[in-house]
Formats: sequence, C-alpha cells, structure tokens
Amino acid sequence: MLIGVLVIGGGVGYFMYQAIQSSWAYYYSVDDFSANRAAVKNYSLRIAGRVKPGSVVRDLKKMDLTFTLAGVKTEVPVHYEGTVPDNFTEDIEVVVEGRLGVNGTFEAKTVLTRCESKYRVKVK
Amino acid sequence: MPELGHFAILLSLFLSGYAIVIDILGSLRKDPGLIKSARNATIACLGCLSVAMVALWVLLVKSDFAVVYVAEHTSRALPFAYKFSALWAGSAGSLLLWSWLQVGFVVLVYCKSEFRHRRFSAHARVFANLVGFFFLIILTSDRNPFELSVVAAADGGGLNPLLQHPAMVLHPPILFVGYAGFLIPFAWAFGRLTTNQEDDGTALLKQAQRWTLFAWLFLTGGIVLGAWWAYEELGWGGYWAWDPVENSSLLPWLTATALLHCFRTYKPRFAIATWTILLSILTFSLCIFGRFLTKYGLVSSVHAFSSPGLGILYIVLLINVWVIAGILLVRRYMLTKSSAADSVVPNLRFIIVNNWLMLILAFVIFVGTLFPFLSKVFIKVVRSFSSQSVTPLAPITLAPEFFTKITAPGGLILLLLIGLCPHLLRHGFSKSWRIILAVIAVALALMVWLFTCSLDTTRPSDISGIIGWWGRWLLSGSATIPCFIICGFMLINIIVDFVHYEMKATANKKTGSTSPRNLRWYGSRIVHLGIAIMFIGIAGSGGYATEKNAALKPGEKTDIAEYELTFDALRAEHGRNFTAVTADISVYKGEQLIVRLKPAKAFYHASQKTVSEIDVRRTLGSDLYLALTEVDKGRELINLHIMIKPLINWIWIGSFVMVLGGLIVLFSSHRRKMTIQQNKGKDIEWAI
Repeated sequence: MLIGVLVIGGGVGYFMYQAIQSSWAYYYSVDDFSANRAAVKNYSLRIAGRVKPGSVVRDLKKMDLTFTLAGVKTEVPVHYEGTVPDNFTEDIEVVVEGRLGVNGTFEAKTVLTRCESKYRVKVK
Repeated sequence: MPELGHFAILLSLFLSGYAIVIDILGSLRKDPGLIKSARNATIACLGCLSVAMVALWVLLVKSDFAVVYVAEHTSRALPFAYKFSALWAGSAGSLLLWSWLQVGFVVLVYCKSEFRHRRFSAHARVFANLVGFFFLIILTSDRNPFELSVVAAADGGGLNPLLQHPAMVLHPPILFVGYAGFLIPFAWAFGRLTTNQEDDGTALLKQAQRWTLFAWLFLTGGIVLGAWWAYEELGWGGYWAWDPVENSSLLPWLTATALLHCFRTYKPRFAIATWTILLSILTFSLCIFGRFLTKYGLVSSVHAFSSPGLGILYIVLLINVWVIAGILLVRRYMLTKSSAADSVVPNLRFIIVNNWLMLILAFVIFVGTLFPFLSKVFIKVVRSFSSQSVTPLAPITLAPEFFTKITAPGGLILLLLIGLCPHLLRHGFSKSWRIILAVIAVALALMVWLFTCSLDTTRPSDISGIIGWWGRWLLSGSATIPCFIICGFMLINIIVDFVHYEMKATANKKTGSTSPRNLRWYGSRIVHLGIAIMFIGIAGSGGYATEKNAALKPGEKTDIAEYELTFDALRAEHGRNFTAVTADISVYKGEQLIVRLKPAKAFYHASQKTVSEIDVRRTLGSDLYLALTEVDKGRELINLHIMIKPLINWIWIGSFVMVLGGLIVLFSSHRRKMTIQQNKGKDIEWAI
C-alpha cells in the first residue's frame, strides 16, 4: 500500500516537474518588469500591459508586428511575427509571451488579447 | 418592472433564510408543522425567483435601457433570440439563472410531501438552501441585475459579437443545469451524514445517482458545446486552450465521473459509502469554486473579469461546507462500526483505479490552474525566510503545453483501462492475468519500437538520461500513435463485449431463463465507445495538424497539403447589426474545384468590435479551416490563416455518442424506478 502510494506519488510528481520545466514563465506587469529588467533577462516571461496608441506598425507581407507595450510609468518595445488575434487594436490590454532580446526589444512568441470583459460591453 | 424583480429577489432571499432556520428548528423539535412550513417557503422561494427571471426577460426583450444590465448586454438592433439569451450573458443574470435552477431542482427532489423521507428531505433542504442563500446574498448586494442607471442610455452596448453564435446561446444554460444539478447529490450527501439512516435509503440513493447522471450529461454537453464554439468562433483552429475558465468546468466533470462509478457499487456502512459522500460534496464544491475562479480573477485569465466584490463569499461558503462536512464525517466514523470488509463489494478494484486516475487528473489540473497564485505565495514564504532575494517576486504562469503534457499519460492509462475493463469484468481479475500480461508486453514492445525509431538524434547515453528521455517522450506529442493503438484496442474490446453479451442473452433465452435486456449495460458501454471515438479525434487533430499563414493579393494562389487555394476577390456584405468583408477563396484538389469558402471579417456596430467569421470544409477525414485574420487598409492584401485538422469531427461525433449512451442509462434507470415502485416490498438488488 505504502509502496504503491510512493510509486504513484513519485510518478505524478516527476511528470509534473517535467511538464512545469518546459512551460513555466514569470508573469509581470510592464512596470514590474521594468523594475526587474536585469534580473529576469534570461527567463521566459509573460508581460501584461496596454498597446500604446500610435505605436503599432504592421507589415502584412512579412507578417511582422512592432508596438510599444505601456504600463503606468514605463514602457517596453515589442516585436512579433505571425498572425495577430482578432481584436488586437491600439489601446487594449494584451499579454505578450517570450524573452527579452539583445537590443532591449521584447521578442514575443505569442500575443494574447484580453477580452476586456468576456461577457460585457462597456456603455459609453 | 425592475422594482418588482428586485423585490422578488429580496423576498426569495428572506424565504430561503427562513426555510433554513425553520427546517433546523423543525428537525430538532421533530415538529411536522414547522417542516411543512419550511418546505412551502422553499417552493415560494422558487416562485419569487421565477418572477425575477420573467421580469428580467421582459426588460431585456422590451429593451429598457434604464436598467444597467439590459444596456450593457443588448442593443435595439440585436436579434430577438440574443436579447432573450442575454439573460445569461452577464455575471448577474447567469447567477440568477443558476440560483433559479438550484431552487427548482430542490423543489423537484426534496419538497415532495412523501411521509417516508420527510426527515431526510428536511436535512437535505437545509444544506441546499444554505448554498442558495449565499448565492442570493451575492445576487442582491453585489451583482444586482435590476440596478438602474442614473441616466437611461439611448441604445445599449450590444451583446459581445463573439457570443452571437447559436452554440453560445445554449452553452451557458446547459452548463448551469449541470452545475446546479450537482446540488442534489451534494444535498443527499449531507442528508445521509446528518440523518445517519442507512437502511431506509434505497430510493433516495437511486435518486441522487440519477441526478448525478443527469447533471453529468448536461455538464458534458455544455463543455463540448463550449469547445465547439471556440473552434467555430474564435478563429484560432483549436477547441480547448486550458484556460482557467475551461479548466474550472473540467474539474467537476472529472470528479463527477468518479462519483458516477462509485454510485454503481454503493453499499451502506462500507468505506465506499463514505467515499461516495465525499465525492458528492467535492464535485459540487468544485462547481462553486469554478464560479469563484472565473468571476473573481484569482488567477489571471485571458478572460479578464470584473472587480472582486463579494466573491470572497464563495470561499466563505466553501469553508463552511467543508468544516461542517469534516465534523459530520468524524461523527459518522465514530458512530459506524464497520463490520464487513470492503472486498465484498463487487468490482471495487476497478472503481478504485478509476477514482484514483480521475482524482489525480483533477489534482494536477487544479494545481496547474492555480499555479500563478500558488507560486506567488510559495515565493513569498521562501523569501520571508531568507534575506537574499534569489528569485523575482512574480507569479509563475504555465503555458497550455503543461496541461497537454501532464494529461497525456493519464489519459492513455485511462483509455487502456476502459479497454481492459470489459474483459476483466467478464472473467474476473485473477483469470485475466494472461491478457494483462499481453497488454503490458504489447505496450513495452511499442515503446521500444518508437524508441528505436527516434534513436538517431536523441539517444541518451547514461541511465538517468534514458529515464529522462522516457519521461519527456511520454509527455511529448508522440503520444499520438499509442493513443490510436489504444483506442483501437478499446474499440475491439467493446465490440467483443457486445457480441459476447448478445450471445449470452441468446443462450439464456434458449435455456428459458429470463434475463431481461439490460439497457443500462448497453448505455454505459456506449458512453465508453464515445470516449474511444473522441480520443481518436483528439489525437488526430492534435498530432497531425498542419497550418500556415498566407498573405495574398486577388488572383494569387497558395497551397497546403493536397489543396490549392486561390483568392478570388473581396466583397462587402451587410447584415442587420454588422457589416462584413468577405474573401472568396476557391479550393482546388488537383485540377478540380471542390469548394468555394468564404471566410469573413465582421464589424459589429453596437459594440464597435471586429470578429473574424471562419469557413470550414468538413469531411470525416479532416477539416480545411480558413480564417481571414487581417485585411489591409487599401483592401489589396489579405492575411489568411489556413489549417488542416485531421479527424477533428470525431471529437464531436464521439461526444454525441457519449451523451446518447448517458441518455440511455438515464432512461433505463427511470424505467427501473418504475419497476421498483411496482415491486415495492420485494427485495431489490443493490448493485447492477
């Protein structure tokens, strides 16, 4: 009984460890990220912020996208290649996922738009 | 009208509180008059909530934009069906619907005037109403659907265009019927714990079992509808993203599946009985927890939600529930002296293995979902012990790959077991060692074969490397082929089982012994068949999907797999509440035109939102899935997301088969109930 529990527990723990290793990332707001920039440069990260109005440059032919992700006080430039989610526009909340590049630009693997509220539409 | 609705909710809050107090008093004093009064109060509570529902519906359909909820979820131009379904499109409305369903089910089950179960019903009602009471407090104070705005809006904001889809009209209420339905086994469990009457409970037990199945069916249907909606509407080609919102509906599904298997072997005064009670409480607790998680943003989700508000009340409720449950379970343990060993219970081994698997899966998904929260707490604790800041203080999130990797091995073992079970049930555990050995041998051979296939690049040299490699292999996408093989094994076993059963039935007929056709048996096998079919779809669409992005000008071509796609032209379309840009795409296979697809991008006026409308060519073999992701300003260039999803339709077919099987079981147990009522007094078999 005890051995069984140990084996199962060990197995589950081992699998979880392996799975976590390959998929984890720190989650920051833009401002927190800027404050810890040096400490986290080698980790994979998810950063939440707003798309700064007027900063979006999209090259459809190359599927290239650059924009500035803004927090309350600081901001960070983001570069991304690929398809952009449906509701991606300026001045919305997004989460970018990737690593800090050499030149200080955040190289995003994915850009997730947050439905401001999944079910609700703000009344103006 | 809004005043009436608000008043009705307040009154129902009062009534449910009254019912709780009076039920407790009545049970303590053994006063039938009081219990009757509490019962009537519960029924009146349902009446009040019904009035509130109708009031909200009238407001929504009449487009009374003085009410905040109406203005936020509808607009004048919205089609009638969506105005109607806006009742559950928002947090407040959906909570009202859930509360209404809960009270409705309690009235159906525990407010009958049968004398026999009066005491039990009173006890069960106390706990059911307690949950309802908490929900109504949140509804009246925090999420009042009848709140009036200071200045009435001229037109509403409209329903989120993503939700304007038939699947999304049905998905929430179906899911809520499932969640609310689990209140019945939950109340049953507490009734069982507080009354401690075991012998009188066959009918009550069967009732709880039937309601669990009923709720399970709706939950299954709701989850699948949600997945289908994601596939049809969100335009990324997937159906499941392991988002906290999705996970929170999967968790009670897993425990409910375990619970269904437990009910089959329930025996009073055995350990399995306590276990069943625990699972019943756990399942409904996870429903409440899911509500808390999705509506109050403990962990950040792609679905961002509104302010925390009184969401903490859900946690207060859960703590209350588990403290009471803990006390009652200890009391039960002290009172009952287990006289017989559990080994008498038939098929217990399978149930234990099934339960362990389900719970482990639920546990890892639970941990994964809460990981951002847990890791932050953990890092904080570690930091408070050491002065150096080794790790940055930030929550750690896990990518969806975590879940696919962690659930793949568990899912495979589960499939293997479902495949083995019919054989084991027929021949018994000890006689089946040959087939178990054979299965293990085949599994090992398969692993070795796959291992040698991929030796060249990834060969690890030392022992620890090899073990690590195995771990990664099991977790990686290469689980697809084993999944196919196991599904095939399952299908063969289930078919063999069917044939065997038919032969036995014919043989019995010949010898003259009466063995009525057991619909229930068929139903449960059909559910398992559905799971096998579904997993073929999951493995196929996950393992062999191909996708590409193409930027195209009119007249340009691109190809994927055996298809060649030509972008013909862009055109504008006008709907009642949207304008759309549609791209005409001709799909050729060889020289032959096989289909014209029309993916579009629609702009919804009321909500000022753009949504891409996908177009799919469906076949049983694979789907060709097109999403128009972007159109440039000059309307010269479009960006197309093209995907081939093999076997994906088998997921929907499999889940349909699953629900069908479940319905057969539900129907057969209903018929069984009739026979039991006819044979009252005769000895009735417990386990089937």
